[in-house]
Amino acid sequence: MTRIKLQTALFFLFLICVHPRSSAADYSKFSHATQKHQAACVTCHKFPTKDWTKISSFPDVTDYPSHDACVSCHRPQFFRGARPPICSVCHSKTSPRDEVRYAFRNPAAKLQFAIEFPHNKHQDAIASLRFAHPPQGYNNCTICHGPRTATFKAAPTDHGSCFNCHWKSQEPVAANCNGCHKLASAPYVRAEPVRFSAKFIHDGGGEKKQHVAECTTCHINITKSASLRWLKPDVPITACTECHNKDGLRQDLNKELIAIDKNRSFTCVYCHAANVGSLDPPASHYLIAERPPLKRKDIK
Amino acid sequence: MRLAFVTVLLVVTVVLAQQPAAQQTGVLRLRVRVKADDAAPLKGLARKRFFLIPGTLEQNRALITSIEQQPLTTRDCYYKQHHASAQLISWLQEGDCESVYCRSIGNEFVTGPKAVPEFASAFAANHTVFGNDLIALQWLTNYLSPDLRDGFYKDRQRTLQTLLNQSGMIQSVMTDQKGSAYFTDLGPGTYVISNVIPTELGQTLVTWNCEVHIKPEDLATEKPYLISNRKDKTVKCVGIEKPKPTCATD
Repeated sequence: MTRIKLQTALFFLFLICVHPRSSAADYSKFSHATQKHQAACVTCHKFPTKDWTKISSFPDVTDYPSHDACVSCHRPQFFRGARPPICSVCHSKTSPRDEVRYAFRNPAAKLQFAIEFPHNKHQDAIASLRFAHPPQGYNNCTICHGPRTATFKAAPTDHGSCFNCHWKSQEPVAANCNGCHKLASAPYVRAEPVRFSAKFIHDGGGEKKQHVAECTTCHINITKSASLRWLKPDVPITACTECHNKDGLRQDLNKELIAIDKNRSFTCVYCHAANVGSLDPPASHYLIAERPPLKRKDIK
Repeated sequence: MRLAFVTVLLVVTVVLAQQPAAQQTGVLRLRVRVKADDAAPLKGLARKRFFLIPGTLEQNRALITSIEQQPLTTRDCYYKQHHASAQLISWLQEGDCESVYCRSIGNEFVTGPKAVPEFASAFAANHTVFGNDLIALQWLTNYLSPDLRDGFYKDRQRTLQTLLNQSGMIQSVMTDQKGSAYFTDLGPGTYVISNVIPTELGQTLVTWNCEVHIKPEDLATEKPYLISNRKDKTVKCVGIEKPKPTCATD
């Protein structure tokens, strides 16, 4: 009996030794979701960081927290081996002779925070408008959304446009990180916006540049949006057909729907790239043309 | 065995039948066209917020009475009451701005003949902190007094929230440059479109409380809805105009 107990004990001891411990922490990865990492941001991040003038044109958090922020709890991990994994959270080379760090924040790392930005409040407060685009002295969407490509506008990537108003006094102020940065449920990669009408150019619209309009004329859901969550920069087909499918003006949509009637393999090219233009036109397109929706497969 | 199969099939059918079908929704395209006075041309009312409240005018009678009876401090009166300089009031009027955030503040408004005293003081205060002209100018609003910076906006928001707490407001949108805005994802029913806080238009205040019906046949379409402060056969709802009150400081 004693022998069996001893064998059983040895067996469990063996299992404990050889089985990789599932709870072993990976110190090369830093997570803000770890409970002990959820103290006030200023516990680790100094604001502004010491050498902000070297990187930024305005006072900002431009670097990782100092060693003190980590060592206070992670002294054993700091001095484990010649290349402690914990160093690789910030340092591109884990060597005591090399202080080089990744850019802050590391563009290759997944995002841990979501941004809470109420477009509706900002529309109310800042976006009074006289002219849609320069020359003008009135604030509008272009304060934050400058040009990126002919097709896409840029979104803010730093605090530049925020601190103009939110440096101090106006909440959430610069020191109140949590006012805008909310811990995401899981690390994520920012999704690139999907453009269905790939041929649309914001500064286009012929010689008169008819596309240069106020952003909310087409992006109709922006002014009611209190959060970035589930916000899509969606544009209804009617925003296009106001000009592009008008009696006596142009019939760009109607022409392509008729082309599909004649040849169900026809690819819509006026607005779309082939990947979208070869799909079934959505019901909204037929509605504008005052026709019942059709599927390509049903066309003889 | 066969009985068991039939039973399972029946249960699955019943469960699937009870799944709600994807609900079709409609879009209401609001257009607001106004005349500042009888001589002025009819034009789109830009940059004004409108609210969509479920129910009929009668069902929202208490809210509408509150909207119509609310005491209102106009923009100019607010800034006068808070001792804004004549230059600041004029700067706001020039841009039809409700707050200092609506226009960019260039150097010409800090020094020189067009200078606004409040901006000059804020610039100087900011400059003593960073010693940097660009930051002092770009971050100027951070150093204005709260009453002049966003006090008017916050006052309006408090009034709005007090009024809207009486309703089940479901959406609010802002008109674009042409006076258009879209309420989307609407189910069939009756709604009230209101600006809740009267719009300052020339020498008058205009309030809209308009009943609109979204019928089943309006779903999957874009229903146009034109409102104005002048009657016309195409206008679905005419706002009520009142003269602007005089300021207590006048």
